[in-house]
Amino acid sequence: MTQNLDLTDIQGNIVKAYGSFGFFKARYLFLRVDNGDKGRDFVARITSKVTSAERWSKSSAPSVTTNMAFTYSGLEALELPTASLIGFPEDFVMGMSKRKVILGDDGPSDPEHWDKIWQEESVHIWISINGKSIEDVEERYQWVSKQIDATGGVSLLKGHRGEDAFGNPSDDLPYQDASILYDENGMPSSKEHFGYTDGIGDPVFEGQTNNEKRVIGRGKLTSEGEWVPLATGEFILGHLDEAMEYPHTAPRPDLLSNNATYMVYRKLHQNVGTFNKFLDEQSKVFPGGKELLAAKFSGRWRDNGAPLVHTPDEASKADWDKKFAAADVPTQKKMLTDFTYNEDIEGAKCPVSAHIRRINPRGSLEYGVKGAFNTPGALVDRRRILRRGLPYGKAKDQTSDDGNHGIIFMVLNADINRQFEFVQQQWINYANDFKLGNDKDVLLGNHSAKCPGKVVFEVEPGSGKPPHFVKNIPRLVETRGGDYFFIPSITALKMIAGGIIDPT
Amino acid sequence: MRFMDTLNIFLKPNSSGNATALTTLCPIMNRVVDGESSVDITRERCLRLPIHEESPLAKVPNTYLARLFILDNVFYESLPGGDSVFNFSEITSIFSDKARLGALPQKDQLKSKYLVFSSNFHGDLDAYLRGMWDKWSYDDNGQQRDVRYIWENCVAFDGVTDSSSFISYMKRCQLNSALFFNGSTDDSLQEQLKALYLKQEFSKFAAANQGKSAADLQEAYKAFIDQVQPSNLSGPSWVPGQCEP
Repeated sequence: MTQNLDLTDIQGNIVKAYGSFGFFKARYLFLRVDNGDKGRDFVARITSKVTSAERWSKSSAPSVTTNMAFTYSGLEALELPTASLIGFPEDFVMGMSKRKVILGDDGPSDPEHWDKIWQEESVHIWISINGKSIEDVEERYQWVSKQIDATGGVSLLKGHRGEDAFGNPSDDLPYQDASILYDENGMPSSKEHFGYTDGIGDPVFEGQTNNEKRVIGRGKLTSEGEWVPLATGEFILGHLDEAMEYPHTAPRPDLLSNNATYMVYRKLHQNVGTFNKFLDEQSKVFPGGKELLAAKFSGRWRDNGAPLVHTPDEASKADWDKKFAAADVPTQKKMLTDFTYNEDIEGAKCPVSAHIRRINPRGSLEYGVKGAFNTPGALVDRRRILRRGLPYGKAKDQTSDDGNHGIIFMVLNADINRQFEFVQQQWINYANDFKLGNDKDVLLGNHSAKCPGKVVFEVEPGSGKPPHFVKNIPRLVETRGGDYFFIPSITALKMIAGGIIDPT
Repeated sequence: MRFMDTLNIFLKPNSSGNATALTTLCPIMNRVVDGESSVDITRERCLRLPIHEESPLAKVPNTYLARLFILDNVFYESLPGGDSVFNFSEITSIFSDKARLGALPQKDQLKSKYLVFSSNFHGDLDAYLRGMWDKWSYDDNGQQRDVRYIWENCVAFDGVTDSSSFISYMKRCQLNSALFFNGSTDDSLQEQLKALYLKQEFSKFAAANQGKSAADLQEAYKAFIDQVQPSNLSGPSWVPGQCEP
């Protein structure tokens, strides 16, 4: 039976990817709580404008949203009761920089190279402002600034790398701006800095949507090959998860944790120059050409996100493009997500190592043995993550890595260790589950010059063609900062603000 | 499981093809000298053994995998509360508490602590133990240590003076491994190391030479074979204990 969620209690960024609702601009603020009483007063003021997950009609959609989350030290600074604090999971308590070995944040991604704001252990509050225009964002930002001044108990933390209002590089900006990228005609696009179409296959969970079509390729696979929504508890605390249990990561009391979730905030710099050079060099030895090579890295074609498993070559891609161009929007969405790897177990079409196949193997971990597990996705359904976020900066010189441009990558999940950290450690930076030894994800892997990465593009068995090797993979993405946050429900925000959390 | 496999568990309990499993439990002397027990001395010597290529076990021929640890006591699994007889007596309550507790199984304790050595290796036990006696060595802050340094605090080890007395000592301490599962092939260590080396080198070769014409590829392959010498086990290869290419 479909679950009804209390959408007015859940923060809006958990249920909605704002970017796909026309909120193209975002500003992320990080604050320190200097005084518990005044800090709670600040939380109360912001809570009055926090955006819920309530469904929008055309007339009710706002032009700007506001959401708020806390680090563990932030909840300490806001003086949550000890009996509540001890209920938080170890990963969240430690925070992201101390989890660097698990996450593979080494070399240029090591926390010692992160933006200055992350060099101190004083990031307590995260506020996200998403707007339809930069003016909307700016207006809400000014309102938040007023609340900071009025309460006096919190400080806006500086120390983001980027470019100031005059376009000058700075390492001490007071906020992190993010924005969708625009194409050469100035039209909004869903591209990121490497040119890939992003944000296609986010998971769908029970209660999130009434539209069954949106579940195809995004929920979980049943034994009958149907797609159904994932259990709500994989993404929101206080609800049953895929193990038919309430998430173990919920602190006491229930009112503090119900309808909450955990967020991973990661600022990922993209080495655009290195990527373009690498793609050019490698496409000289790859028989299928540059765009197919780029598609083999990710599992989707860069221009429109066509899944490789349905478009393994130029001819099938051309056919797909024709159908895609003629289709209505719901059909287009279905074309982008409605696939499995059952007809491509060997990876001849979409390499087993391709990014989207790694982060969501869609039942292919049964390796073609029907009924190997309770359901084809049994090993996947507990490792799904909601992805939020937007690109930041501009890659002005396509031949250089310099500058500040990348992705503000945010993950939402009920259990950071079981979901995000597992995917990062086992499926991005390792490949034993895929029978690929220690090969890493081409795009996101922490490749090092000392032990340069390689991946294999498989071919149809018996085709007589040799597999293709991509070698000497450089580090294409570097972590520039981030932390783990708790996104409470709106009820819990009010309780935190009121200092009335009673864990007994 | 096939019938012969089942039978072999009883006929050849410590074997899987040419692979052999060895588990020994050697009692450690219950002795304290200058405030330090024989157990603590042995434990520290085990913990300070060098690892990987420097491990003395890398020098003992044909060791696939081995470990040393101290067994302090048997593991206690708490009161058997789900026992049906116990529950029955709870319901009837006709027995005194003392009688009911007295009916519980006794808690077992070991009389001494044991040095446990567990090894999977290629070949036969006597040859392997002789290899341990002859080849076990490592540098301990400038001092060369042989196998006696680890075992010398075990009961009756002072009677061990040569390889044959070491072999009979270890055999007296041996437990049978009835359900031995060998995690690799049963080839000799040299062959397995050579195979690992060849696999790594071949994937490098494949990546380095893709796209070449048949003639060029054959040329490169010949050079590759000359370099890696597949049939030469003592030629280029991995060394025992190596954990990274």
